[in-house]
Amino acid sequence: MFVLIHEDIQLLPPESSNNADFIKCRRHTQAHVGYHTLNFSTDNCCLNSQSANQKWWTRNESRISSPMTVQRIRDPLHNLIEFKADSELENNLWRVLQTRPFQRLRRVKQLGFSELVYPGASHTRFAHSVGVFHTARQLMEVVRSAGPRKDSRENCALAAALVHDLGHGPFSHAFETVGKRLSLKLADHEHVSDLLIRDGEVADILNEMGSGFAIDVADMVKKEGKITVHNAVVSSQFDADRLDYMRRDRLMSGSQHAAIDFEWLIANLEIASIPTGVDDEQTGTVDTFVIGPKAIHAAEAYVLGLFQLYPTVYFHKTTRGAEKIFTELLIRIVHLTRDESIEQIGLPVQHPLVQFARDPENLDIALCLDDSVVWGALSLMAEAKDNLIRSFALRLRDRKLFKCVDIRARISHEFDPESTGDIEKKAKIETCCAKVNEKLTEWNQRESGEIHRILVDEAERSPYKDGAGSIGPTERINVRTDGGKLVDLKQRSRVVANLDEFKLFRAYHDPGDLDALSTINAIIQGEVQACH
Amino acid sequence: MSLSDSKKVAAIVADAGGRVVGRTRLQKIAYLLTVTGMEDGLSFYYKHYGPYCEDLASAASLGALFGELKETESPTTWGGTYSIFEADRPHDLAPASDVRRQFASTAARSDSIVLELAATAVFLAKEGFDDPWAETARRKPEKAIGNRLADAKNLLKALSEIETPRPLPNIA
Repeated sequence: MFVLIHEDIQLLPPESSNNADFIKCRRHTQAHVGYHTLNFSTDNCCLNSQSANQKWWTRNESRISSPMTVQRIRDPLHNLIEFKADSELENNLWRVLQTRPFQRLRRVKQLGFSELVYPGASHTRFAHSVGVFHTARQLMEVVRSAGPRKDSRENCALAAALVHDLGHGPFSHAFETVGKRLSLKLADHEHVSDLLIRDGEVADILNEMGSGFAIDVADMVKKEGKITVHNAVVSSQFDADRLDYMRRDRLMSGSQHAAIDFEWLIANLEIASIPTGVDDEQTGTVDTFVIGPKAIHAAEAYVLGLFQLYPTVYFHKTTRGAEKIFTELLIRIVHLTRDESIEQIGLPVQHPLVQFARDPENLDIALCLDDSVVWGALSLMAEAKDNLIRSFALRLRDRKLFKCVDIRARISHEFDPESTGDIEKKAKIETCCAKVNEKLTEWNQRESGEIHRILVDEAERSPYKDGAGSIGPTERINVRTDGGKLVDLKQRSRVVANLDEFKLFRAYHDPGDLDALSTINAIIQGEVQACH
Repeated sequence: MSLSDSKKVAAIVADAGGRVVGRTRLQKIAYLLTVTGMEDGLSFYYKHYGPYCEDLASAASLGALFGELKETESPTTWGGTYSIFEADRPHDLAPASDVRRQFASTAARSDSIVLELAATAVFLAKEGFDDPWAETARRKPEKAIGNRLADAKNLLKALSEIETPRPLPNIA
């Protein structure tokens, strides 16, 4: 016997409502009991018209709300992802999916501008988040197999996996760059995720799992509070986030690099207690994932895979070039809006980008921002009076991007053509890059008017995740040897041991601006000679 | 990353007594100098190990390559590695004030976990938390044990007694 219940809310015409502040609704309920279908309708529900836009589905009005209902999502990576009928947690998480903050993730692409290079890479943060939840459930089997643990922590980790990306803005990391340059707190996805998880409609649903559950989930996403092995599911070298995005981004971009042996990795994951510390002092130990000796090659491929995705997908020169243009465009919008020069930007005052520029601390306005809002605004901005906004909007809309000069590649070739990695040669490369950067910045300040003629891009990525604090065993991939000892994967894999940080330093210019191009070339040449 | 950032890091190390043990300690000294108006141009945000500046971390690595400072990496007893930074103040920078040197060296001599707790409480106070110590303890339960919170308060008290251009939040 199975029971499926579907509910729909139909808005009734305004004249049927006595109170203008409320919109009267009719609830249609369809129940499938075994092979029979039953239909019900009720007219007794109302939505507050002022909040209808913000809270379309209230806690008691979730679209599908039966504890007996199994919900299924067909996913290109994982195939069937089920939210189980007999799980209180999964019923609640399914309701989290229906909230406005979560639905917004349908309009935030996982890889931002990557689709300008890889047309298939148009997958969303929504699909990724559901995939992370699914992967977290698989990882939780590893945790369970290691011994009995607290259910509440398990639930917390699964919920954290689902909602960890709630705060991403349009074009994710490019938007964060805007936020850093203009000190906009609500452009920081971790901060916005934290706010959305702790308070509001997502928190209301999470707290049905128990008082304070939403806070525990938010803490787990932020790696704060009590740390247990469940944190490793959300944040570790083998967390569900990375295990989903590596495979999903590879699949959707169509790249054939970076294949990982997921099933074998999972099958060989174990739990071990490893020490933690700050600088030279130990603070305690933490249980986390380590890999068994049979999965060394799978772990090696996993690390290398990420490193292949960075230059080929995440840091692709065209994608980064589009991000640079988007960043300058948004910064210009914020500046002109703050200067009361809105008539210059081509957007109406009620446009979410203008609203956000005027009131950047307003979470509700920040939630109105997504990729589609930006793409939809480009044609309007293409008519702007302001030169930068008009030209950069056209460049993004029509994919007429700046040309890239890979400065680091050129300088590296000059000083270390055989890529020996010699420390003195590395020092020269870094010094030369830094000097070129300074010269380009000076030139830009001197020669550029409203439109930046040279856009400089710098980024780096370490082989392992998050080595920014103390470097300890939690920042490594630990392998259990046949003798039961834990060693860093680098000690077992010469390939991984020889991986260096991936760094980029590039300059972008208008293809027609030959003066800018010759300036870039001249500065590189001059500094290379000086450093020699 | 600009060359001036690596000089900035070298100056912080030099003013802290010429030697700073650990990346965390270096980050927290730089943060407290920034809060008190004795350092600028570094942008800190909150990570799970407290206030953190990405540019500072990169500048420290580059400073070692540029020769502005010396970084020695050593293994810890707990299985990690830590860095010892040593530097003289770059010649082309103006001499540091006595206040800055006193403040930085006091912070550098403190226990790194206690310093992390103190810097975190300052960050949270500036973020508007009514009880930044309770919030610090809640966020870092594994670190805020024993007398460490009391030690962190004492450290801030000692630092607050130094007349800095901008005072530390009054939470000690």
